[in-house]
Amino acid sequence: MSSKNFNNYIISAIKLLLGMLFIYTATGKLMHLDIFQMRLEQMPYISPLASSLKWLVPFAELVIVGLLLIGKYRALGMYASFILLGLFTMYIMAVLRFNEHVPCSCGGVLSALSWRDHILFNGAFMLLALTAIRLSRKGNKDKPQNQNTT
Amino acid sequence: MKTTVLKIVLPAFAIVMAVGLAFATEENNLPVTGYISTPSGPLPVQTDCPDTGQGYCFKESNPVYRTMALENQIRDWE
Repeated sequence: MSSKNFNNYIISAIKLLLGMLFIYTATGKLMHLDIFQMRLEQMPYISPLASSLKWLVPFAELVIVGLLLIGKYRALGMYASFILLGLFTMYIMAVLRFNEHVPCSCGGVLSALSWRDHILFNGAFMLLALTAIRLSRKGNKDKPQNQNTT
Repeated sequence: MKTTVLKIVLPAFAIVMAVGLAFATEENNLPVTGYISTPSGPLPVQTDCPDTGQGYCFKESNPVYRTMALENQIRDWE
């Protein structure tokens, strides 16, 4: 197997993992939008935006899945995944740093994680997204330039 | 054939699996009912505390208990 093929398999695997993560979390939120809003209302800093965020977050997650699935926008999807996970991680870190009491807003399988474990979990997925971005850029660099000058 | 599996079958399978997992773990996603002490007696409240970990569950600084008799405080991570 050539290294280019191997890189493509790695990128596809990461794309699937990120897609599954976002579909899982978006479905969980959309199934109980009222509960998601109630949880957002308990969160520090973002509670005034709860009614908008309850739609915006799952919508953004599903848009990212769409981008990851469409080959042409795959790289954009990877960047968007990295940014969304990064924003969430920074928010958790800020809450842990500046607030004494942190309400839990994690659901499903992720509810088994504490906030600190959640940061590690997000960090691992951010690392995966970054790896896919780098491999993707490397693949683009290695592509022969179009010689057609007509 | 290989491309079809990679580009269509695998992503479709992943989507179905993720949605299925979300439905399968739906119950874990719901808040549980606990009780806090108020001057007028125990008051039921909804909480997201996982009932595991080293800490104790609080609702706006009120300890949250499992039962109406205000026994056994629900656990939280820290």
